[in-house]
Amino acid sequence: MVGYLFGLWAALTLNFLLPRLLPGDPLAALLDPDSAGYVYDSAVRESLEAYYGLDAPPVEQYLHYLAGLFTGDLGQSIRLKQPVAAVLGDHLPWTLLLTLTALGLASVIGIWSGAEAAWRRGSPMDKALTAAGVVIGNIPVFFTGMILLIIFGATLNWFPLSGGRTAFARYASAFDAVRDYAEHLFLPALTLTLALLSSKFLLVRGSMIGVLSEDFILVARAKGLPAGRIKHHHALRNALLPFVHHLAAHAGFALTGALFIEALFDYPGMGRLIFESVAARDYPVIQGAFVVVSVFVLSANRLADWLTMRLDPRIREG
Amino acid sequence: MSAPLLSVQNLRVSFASPDGNVRALDGVALELARGGALAVVGETGSGKTTLARALLGLHPAECVAGSIRLDGDELNRLDEPGWQRVRWRRIALAAQNAGTAFDPVYRAGEQIVEPLRLHLGLSETEAWQRARTLAEQTGLTERHLRAYPHQLSGGEKQRLMLAMALSCQPDLLVLDEPTSGQDMRSRAQMIALLRRLRAQSGLALLLISHDLAAAAALTEQTAVLYAGKVVEAGATRDLLTTPRHPYTWGLLNAYPNMTTTRDLSSIRGQMPDPARPPDGCRFHPRCNQAVDDCRRFEPPLERRGGRLVACHLGGVQTLLQADNLHKTFVTNGHAGPDSLIEAVRGVSLAVLAGEVVGVVGETGSGKTTLGRLLAGLLTPDAGAIYFEGQDIQAVNGAEGKNLRRRIQAIPQDPFESVDPLFTVRQIVRQPLDIQRIQGDRDALVRDALAAVGLPAEGGFLQRRPHELSGGQLQRVVIARALVLEPRLLVADEPVSMLDPSEGARLMNLLKRIQNERGMGMLLISHDLALVRKVADRILVMRGGAIIEQGLSSVVISRPQHDYTRALLLAAPSFNWFPDGSQGADESPDINNTGDQ
Ligand code: SF4
Repeated sequence: MVGYLFGLWAALTLNFLLPRLLPGDPLAALLDPDSAGYVYDSAVRESLEAYYGLDAPPVEQYLHYLAGLFTGDLGQSIRLKQPVAAVLGDHLPWTLLLTLTALGLASVIGIWSGAEAAWRRGSPMDKALTAAGVVIGNIPVFFTGMILLIIFGATLNWFPLSGGRTAFARYASAFDAVRDYAEHLFLPALTLTLALLSSKFLLVRGSMIGVLSEDFILVARAKGLPAGRIKHHHALRNALLPFVHHLAAHAGFALTGALFIEALFDYPGMGRLIFESVAARDYPVIQGAFVVVSVFVLSANRLADWLTMRLDPRIREG
Repeated sequence: MSAPLLSVQNLRVSFASPDGNVRALDGVALELARGGALAVVGETGSGKTTLARALLGLHPAECVAGSIRLDGDELNRLDEPGWQRVRWRRIALAAQNAGTAFDPVYRAGEQIVEPLRLHLGLSETEAWQRARTLAEQTGLTERHLRAYPHQLSGGEKQRLMLAMALSCQPDLLVLDEPTSGQDMRSRAQMIALLRRLRAQSGLALLLISHDLAAAAALTEQTAVLYAGKVVEAGATRDLLTTPRHPYTWGLLNAYPNMTTTRDLSSIRGQMPDPARPPDGCRFHPRCNQAVDDCRRFEPPLERRGGRLVACHLGGVQTLLQADNLHKTFVTNGHAGPDSLIEAVRGVSLAVLAGEVVGVVGETGSGKTTLGRLLAGLLTPDAGAIYFEGQDIQAVNGAEGKNLRRRIQAIPQDPFESVDPLFTVRQIVRQPLDIQRIQGDRDALVRDALAAVGLPAEGGFLQRRPHELSGGQLQRVVIARALVLEPRLLVADEPVSMLDPSEGARLMNLLKRIQNERGMGMLLISHDLALVRKVADRILVMRGGAIIEQGLSSVVISRPQHDYTRALLLAAPSFNWFPDGSQGADESPDINNTGDQ
């Protein structure tokens, strides 16, 4: 636990230092009437001045920054003229929805297909799945997204081309609402799922093959246990241990993937927000997004450690 | 006799491998009575574990052919669900490596409960209750059941494995190396536990092991497996006291030095590659007595005197046999009761093909006279000597010459046994000339010299005895004995004239040559420490008679006679330490069959 708090602190501190250390002093430029980045809106400028407090000594700035984080004050967006926290609050749920849906789908499909392929190792099904896994794993996300968009969005017209929901829609029922959200989510989530799937499949297949050659599997068979029980209760249960670690390491990758895919599908999540903020040099938002991403990745790791501990008695003891 | 519980007929298990078809088991037949116990012994790679798994249907069906009947039911035709009903309920397996036999993520108890719930339909509480009873029977407690595998010691896991195997009260328990990797104490405990369990439950045991002592303690019947075939089977007691098949014999002689990682030291060569077993008898490349038929035809497993043996010759051959030999010398040339010395009094002995027999005794025990009698250098006053079944006194002429050439003696003092004017080449070549051996005699000389680790080039060949060291000359004399390709070497104190380290090296060499060529050897010495390192069997001589004999390991570890014990204590390089090891100031170890 201490490790994670330290990690979080390091990420937040880095976030504090980076824009201040960048060449050309971008934060100061925002307030400098002679620079290209000068913020003309005086109300915004005042809030920026208050938030960054660039005249104060660095230690004071730092403490002020940390205090702001704890109270949810992440400053004011220059571009949107809203508090950063509110901006993030608008976009983050979309990204979480996309990322977690894809991670969940990819995990379920990856575990199931990986276990089946390993169980029937060398069968045509295993060979086909493994080949497909390798191929799909090597296609760039952007390319998959485009293809899906062209086929299912533009040509077949099955799914909306962009957005997170139908603009200005009024839903007659909760079901209609869910359906509208799901239809918009489908293609981006599918793209991301495909991007995440193959490494999960290959990992589960590999570790499952390893477990299946263990002595305790032989003993389980000798005990007369039915195939399903050996496969799931014993083999897969053990094969999941490395998977959990992989999942944590993959969370960051999934999030970055999501950001690109959002841009492609014009999905209203963090991806679009970050791109637009970068274009507009909206530093408070960029910094806020960085904090959110750090927290997400660190939480994923923390969760994985907790899960491993639940799943593996050897680690629980040690 | 009632129908057997288990009857295996012509069981063949083969696996496809990149090297071709590996026949792990090739026509194995076994029978086991209800409540009986059978040991299947053999080295690593003999097919033991394959057999254990085949009995539970754990190999892919297409790999297994033949018949496995349990209580009359043919198991080898069962499909997977059919096998699932047999496993654990009727045949259970206590797997090798109990250390890795448990799923690391579940408690040990859960894994014992698992088949109970599944096969016997017990409720969770009933099953745990039963698991506790089983744990008690195997000397464990509730705490062990609640533990995860990584929290248990190797011995505890082995017991839990046993508890798990017994859970559904099977008719037959297959034990795969239950004692491997354990120290002496836990091994003894495991054996005691198994004996107790068997007595309590009347369950039949099939013990798969390389541990002959475990086989002796636990079973009534034993089958010896070699390269996928049963080579000998019979009552455990008989089989382990009088092995018939050369392989069983070697296995026994290697005991207790043999472990799963170290191969037999008293049998030359290695287990054949299972993908390419040799033609004929699979043991023939390692057999000391192989004849032409052995290379061409596979010996069937035949009943020979209450025992099943697969050998064309019916088992280990006796190379040399002496019956009731007597030899009396007359001192001072005066005949009379006072001046008669009975050097050998009624000695009977046998040397098997490829066996090293040590004769140990003090000066004056008659051992040297015995050696000279057996080497044909003296004629006994009474008694008979048979070599390869022929009475050596009865044959004469060419046949006798041929026979005598197959027994060669190595004298104690090499300087006395060679003509000081001869060169090395002449010394080694002399017997070939005398016997008028056809062929390139000089080439044979060079081969013999190379075999004893001497240079075979010009310069050395021209040296004379006084230009050689004692060790070199003794090697020359050994080479002289080897040129005639003897079947039996009689070596009387062959290294006593040499310094200890040279002596040890030479003994090493002799043992290696004997082993490679599969010769028999009679090693006569006063030095029990030396003899026990090379001899398979030891005879202790005193006052012209043999007072004790047996396998080396037995004679050394449990000497019966006070005289033997005295010899043991007197042995110069033989220091007993509390842990049974030897002193550090010892001469190089002869068992270290490394080169000189
Ligand atoms: S004598 Fe022949 S048949 Fe008998 S074990 Fe030796 S090689 Fe095999």
